[in-house]
Amino acid sequence: MADPFKARNPFAPWDRRELPGMFDVEETARRVGHYKWAEMKLFEVLGGWIATVPEIDVKLRLGTHCYKHAWHSELWHKRLPELREMNPDRLTVPPNDAMIRFIAAFTEPEAPEMTIEKLVGAYRVFIPHFISAYTFHLNNTSQITDGPTIRSLKFILQDEFEDWRDGEMLIQSLLTTPAEVKRASEHQARLEILLIEAGGIAGPGTIGSAYAE
Amino acid sequence: MRKFFPVSDLARDERFNQVTNEERMADPRGSGNTGVIRKARSTNRLTPSRPDATDAARNLMHGIMVGEIQALEGAGRTCFDFVTGEEAPFALKLDMARQCWDEARHVEISVKLSEWMGTELGQFVENTVLFAAACSQDPVMRLAGVNRALEGLAIDVFTTMKEFGEIAGDPYLAFCEDWMLADEVTHVKMGSDWLRKITENDPERRKKALEFQTVVDKLFSYGGLRSESDESPILLARRFRELAGFTDSEITEIADVSLAALNERREALERTLAPSPA
Repeated sequence: MADPFKARNPFAPWDRRELPGMFDVEETARRVGHYKWAEMKLFEVLGGWIATVPEIDVKLRLGTHCYKHAWHSELWHKRLPELREMNPDRLTVPPNDAMIRFIAAFTEPEAPEMTIEKLVGAYRVFIPHFISAYTFHLNNTSQITDGPTIRSLKFILQDEFEDWRDGEMLIQSLLTTPAEVKRASEHQARLEILLIEAGGIAGPGTIGSAYAE
Repeated sequence: MRKFFPVSDLARDERFNQVTNEERMADPRGSGNTGVIRKARSTNRLTPSRPDATDAARNLMHGIMVGEIQALEGAGRTCFDFVTGEEAPFALKLDMARQCWDEARHVEISVKLSEWMGTELGQFVENTVLFAAACSQDPVMRLAGVNRALEGLAIDVFTTMKEFGEIAGDPYLAFCEDWMLADEVTHVKMGSDWLRKITENDPERRKKALEFQTVVDKLFSYGGLRSESDESPILLARRFRELAGFTDSEITEIADVSLAALNERREALERTLAPSPA
């Protein structure tokens, strides 16, 4: 057996985590508050839609996914006091008015014939934006100081990817004519425009900037 | 999407047929039917030895399945209908979302069990009274009517079906019912805990909610469907209700209501069978 008193490096050779990160505590709390608000809106709407969709398989998926997003909002709710925000409600807000308009448009479909619009809003617009916001956060935060946020992001991203796949497959199973494809695209474009105006679920800079300064 | 979704607009595919509580109870294939043909039996408890056990068990399982769909829809609406923090606490909504997932699994389980029992979706009618109890504009009333009264009934039903599976030598049925029973105890406890917490300083609101629960309990004791007597198809499950946060006096009250309903049914039956004056 190796000598237990022989000096070892605190970071093993395979542990390449780094200290620098793009977000300080305040910025992290701001983002986390927006994530919580957006996850809340998503789980509430998915829950509300369950009674409005006649397709039983869709009804059941919405019920399952409703809980997952509620759990995500709970994880963010619990993270906020750890980021020095002792009143989580203060930061549980939309980033701007455009985001409120997006949520209003996203929530709008109710009729039983509008399952395509409901699913497109959730799985082709809202959830892909969560995936990109969370991926950006995961890849840019300090790998050491922000360990708790990273752990939550990884759990949540796993759910988001699975839910996105479930939703996309449901959408594909419902699109059987060119007219339905057009309906889906038009609704997606309408919502995407609003979300671009909001700058993403955490406002401008949600996924950074890809352009050279 | 509107806040507060009416029961008349519940979305269903073409296989489903919706009826009132009374119409469903009058279905002669029903497990709850304690009518004339059942008079000669010493017990109406749903057991495999009943001559109508096959139809009765299938009807009950179909009723469970549509009840689970409505419970899913009701919990989902409670997530959406109330403003978080102002009209319903955030943690209550998290519980309702959790209930959505549980109810979705219960639908999946009961669809598979129905197939196992040889039943097709929509083969029996759907009674929408459960969702109607989830339409109140006060979340506390929903907790009382759905989580306490109807999910409480689900505890009784699952206990009876689990017993049915055990006696019939069907471990598949008994296994699934046992799992669903565990979830239902959790849901009823959620209802009990939230009802007490939210109305802690509002005795009038608590009184109204408990009155509503009694109304729903009475509705589902219709015809002596559920009681502690062997004459009822469904047994009142005292032990599991205790685990779910019901007090002894609350369970006794439900037992009394159920027994009164059974007696009413018995008297009505005797009047029907009495020889008519020449």
